[in-house]
Amino acid sequence: MSTVASEPAILDGKCPTGPMAERWEQRKRDLKLVAPNNRRKYTVIVVGTGLAGGSAAASLAELGYNVLSFCVQDSPRRAHSIAAQGGINAAKNYQNDGDSVWRLFYDTVKGGDFRSRESNVYRLADLSRNIIDQCVSQGVPFAREYGGTLANRSFGGAQVSRTFYCKGQTGQQLLLGAYQAQMRQVAAGKVKMFSRREMLDLVVINGVARGIVTRDLVTGAMETYAADAVVLCTGGYGNVYYLSTNAKNCNVTAAWRCHKKGALFANPCYTQIHPTCIPVSGDHQSKLTLMSESLRNDGRVWVPKTQGETRPASQIPDDQRDYYLERRYPSFGNLAPRDISSRAAKERCDAGYGVGMGGMSVYLDFADAIRRDGEATIRAKYGNLFEMYEQITGENPYQVPMRIYPAVHYTMGGLWVDYNLQSNLPGLYVLGEANFSDHGANRLGASALMQGLADGYFVIPYTIADHLATSKHEKVTTDHPAFKEALIESRNITERLLNTKGRRSVDSFHRALGKIMWDKVGMARTAEGLQQAISQIRELRDEFWRDVKVLGSGDNFNQMLEHAGRVADFMEFAELLAIDALERDESCGGHFREEHQTPDGECQRDDENYCHVSAWEFQGVGNQPVMHKEPLSFEEVHLATRSYK
Amino acid sequence: MASAHNGMRLTLKIWRQPSPQAAGRLQTYEMRDVSPDVSFLEMLDQLNEQLIAQGEEPVAFDHDCREGICGMCGVMINGQAHGPQNQTTTCQLHMRSFHDGDVILIEPFRADAFPVIKDLVVNRSAFDRIIQSGGFVSVNTGSAPEGNAIPVPRHMQEKAMDAAACIGCGACVASCKNASAMLFTSAKVSQMAYLPQGKAERSQRVLSMVAKMDEEGFGACTNTGECEAACPAGIQLSNIAVMNREYMRALLTSHE
Amino acid sequence: MATGSVENNSSWLKKLNLTWVTRLFTSSIGRKMVMGATGLGLCGFLVVHLAGNLFLYKGREAYDGYAHALHEQEWLPLAEAGLFALFLLHIYLAFVTTWENRRARSKSYVMRESKRQDRVIAAPVGSPSNWMFVSGAVVLGFLILHIIDMKLQLRPDVQHYAEHESFANAIAVLSNPVSQVVYCLGTVFLGFHLSHGFSSAFQSLGLNHPKYTPTIKVVGLIFAVVVAAGFFLLPIIVPMSPGLVEQAKQVEVSIDEAPAATAHP
Repeated sequence: MSTVASEPAILDGKCPTGPMAERWEQRKRDLKLVAPNNRRKYTVIVVGTGLAGGSAAASLAELGYNVLSFCVQDSPRRAHSIAAQGGINAAKNYQNDGDSVWRLFYDTVKGGDFRSRESNVYRLADLSRNIIDQCVSQGVPFAREYGGTLANRSFGGAQVSRTFYCKGQTGQQLLLGAYQAQMRQVAAGKVKMFSRREMLDLVVINGVARGIVTRDLVTGAMETYAADAVVLCTGGYGNVYYLSTNAKNCNVTAAWRCHKKGALFANPCYTQIHPTCIPVSGDHQSKLTLMSESLRNDGRVWVPKTQGETRPASQIPDDQRDYYLERRYPSFGNLAPRDISSRAAKERCDAGYGVGMGGMSVYLDFADAIRRDGEATIRAKYGNLFEMYEQITGENPYQVPMRIYPAVHYTMGGLWVDYNLQSNLPGLYVLGEANFSDHGANRLGASALMQGLADGYFVIPYTIADHLATSKHEKVTTDHPAFKEALIESRNITERLLNTKGRRSVDSFHRALGKIMWDKVGMARTAEGLQQAISQIRELRDEFWRDVKVLGSGDNFNQMLEHAGRVADFMEFAELLAIDALERDESCGGHFREEHQTPDGECQRDDENYCHVSAWEFQGVGNQPVMHKEPLSFEEVHLATRSYK
Repeated sequence: MASAHNGMRLTLKIWRQPSPQAAGRLQTYEMRDVSPDVSFLEMLDQLNEQLIAQGEEPVAFDHDCREGICGMCGVMINGQAHGPQNQTTTCQLHMRSFHDGDVILIEPFRADAFPVIKDLVVNRSAFDRIIQSGGFVSVNTGSAPEGNAIPVPRHMQEKAMDAAACIGCGACVASCKNASAMLFTSAKVSQMAYLPQGKAERSQRVLSMVAKMDEEGFGACTNTGECEAACPAGIQLSNIAVMNREYMRALLTSHE
Repeated sequence: MATGSVENNSSWLKKLNLTWVTRLFTSSIGRKMVMGATGLGLCGFLVVHLAGNLFLYKGREAYDGYAHALHEQEWLPLAEAGLFALFLLHIYLAFVTTWENRRARSKSYVMRESKRQDRVIAAPVGSPSNWMFVSGAVVLGFLILHIIDMKLQLRPDVQHYAEHESFANAIAVLSNPVSQVVYCLGTVFLGFHLSHGFSSAFQSLGLNHPKYTPTIKVVGLIFAVVVAAGFFLLPIIVPMSPGLVEQAKQVEVSIDEAPAATAHP
């Protein structure tokens, strides 16, 4: 694809001005509407059926738009939002403990290490309350008090109890709520569901997003769909690391192909590493499993004081154990924030003190808690997590300490969108984890579900109307040459993958890419490491296209081909992630550059030079992308050092 | 683990079927060096790498989250849906549940309502259609009252949550001798029956969901309890009784 | 399937607003309800029938007294018709649901293994719930023979007495070795059938409650064992009781009258 290098520009997020609390109201007043009888004339494509996609498809169909909904799984109910355990935040202040929209807004901006857009975050906090109401009405079985009112629990990074939950399956229940709302619209004929379809390209006509190219994963048929707007809800890109807590089908392909069609990619280097995951057990490990960080309320994290210790944990006396979090962060101890705990674990393991296979894990020990509170109490609190741990590792955590290690599990970066969630390509909207807007450089626990649903239920129904009502473009059908062209491009990629006929499996390439990313673009990054990563990624990508082995054909169910297409895109995207990490010469939230840390190992931001969103424009594979900046201003929550000491 | 290698040796007999129309057959594969610490799906990954190296097409199987919640995975392992452990999905089953030298028979979930797509992959969209026929509360976005305006007694909420935990994997259908989808359908009917939000549409819901379930070609319940035993999410048989009750109530009292 | 038949062939049912009746007989759950209800009705019959049969142990006078009193009731034909309807419905639905259930999986597994850990009866062939159709069919076979024996008196190898000589006829049937084998076998299968059927009927009718269901299951088992044992013992104990056999021998043999004529026309 030939592109003319464009000049770096200053981007406008098109946020309303005026008092923060009134901005969304103001915007809603300014947005144009589509009259009820006209809505049936418009078709909207929604790609992805997670919290954002499911809620968007349902809400838009309820309004009367014709919705075409796409997902890669066999059913829209399987999107990875389903795996979120902990809960969803909402500023209801049911606990009378001083919570408010402003406080949730404040916590989220601070938690994001001052790299998010204030206006968006305020709207998110505000809408959080409507989400709970909506979900309750749908029959989502939120936990209740004995009197029948909604219950809350507390979560990291907040001093109030504002997290609503459904046992340890909050994501599942919220997703099923959205899924059911969507299924209701399928029955009503307003949503047309396309499962086992993968989006392979965006069709842009005269600079406006007008449709998509998909592949039917069962028959292999390449198809095109035209619409008046495209809403992308395709999640994050954590699987660029190969091992992550993401589902195996999570990928960057849809977002990346939009990027290649001109959509800007913002802050790809903001990735979140979760500290309490079950460690890698061997070479065949395919995925990592997260365990709620609530475990750190009672577990003590430690490693042996001797390098290469071989004795089992029970035979290491207390004075030969290094409770490093308690040692380094005496006031927060084992409850130090996610990014800090994760880096501390990596530091110990890199220094040779790690335990378990390959010394790549640390102990999370409940012996003291069991002694103090009794096994029954611990079982009541964490029984299901302990069972899950035993299921996976075969070790009984009531008897031996758990072993944990950090893992990638969320990506804050994504396609750049304005306040209306519209990308720089008119008609292309991006919702949920796929966009970049609300979490800054670090996401607080129980906020991902909130964002997905706020975007889908309460933002897109308003903002998309404005695009449909104001853009006076002609109707197009898939007969338009742009569709044919995009279809041929997608088909060519598939052909190329099938015809390379190399010797190395797709999975081995993915693992190799993941290793580069984890080692050099992971929890702690250096300029030197990033430069090495960039050249290694390029080499690996070249090798991929020379030597990848994809068996079978393109005209039937072929999982290897699906995987190959995704890995091909990860190979290109990984480079952008590393470039962004290299360019952002500061530490903030999930992006930690070793060159920029305080004496006690905390992130050191550079607000003077990096208080902006970096939005990258594609310039061809292997070419340096152009960076556009969206300056961030903090009017309500003043820039300050994020301290959890 | 008596083998000369580090891991187990296994003989796998796997159902291979290239396309929905093709006749399938069991094919035997020998594996060695299977670590007891890998999951069942990782063992299949390992087999597939082995097949790819030999230039053979890998075995197709559905999977996604690999942490037991998405409901995408699921195969019959030695005649049991999701294998030998109760309350476990295929992805959470680990090879330490097997022994060196074991022969493992792997078949797809079988039901006429779940046609095979390829090898171990089946089409479970009938479940979506059952939900479409009434597994929801008809409430449009924006029209919800304040959350605490609908109090739900805690024990009812807990029962609703237990029913709502269904992951839609289809193990109930696969393990039932009648390929009945009653456990799946009843889980949603019960969840809504327990909650005040579901009351307005309860008659219509159960009548149309059951009609859809029958129409899709699932069998009837003969109370063998196999579904409950195979369910990875612990959905209980009592939900089917709740659905029967709801159905009877709807038959006798609704205007339809 | 179910909805289709509701739509197609029942417009008059619709006019009378009786689609619920169609649903009862065409939907999977409706059928199971009828199945459960008729099953429980038949259980009630079994209790009454067993209670009546226990008069056998008391001797000819008591038994004939009971039999004659019963036969004199004006409602008896009605009750018999009701009973017949229960059987017919139960059997008809058994065939229909079994047929449809088979159809739900036309390609069967190479291997199938239970995951249940809580079997009350762990029969070597699998739990009784898997064999309801087979056990029911065996019971039906037994039932047909039983009606031939007792009601129609068509068995050529059994001594027949006058119709009012119920006691003597019963003893004659129960003393016949073929009957003994078939009756014992039939009652074993009946018990097997009931051990699942009794509690299953409650489940099908939606009568499931954490407080009562465990009790219902145990009661169901006890019921199955008591009823089966009650019937099982009749062909064993009765012919072995010299007193009872003696009483029967005193009855005049109604030599080759009507029954023989019907049997060999």
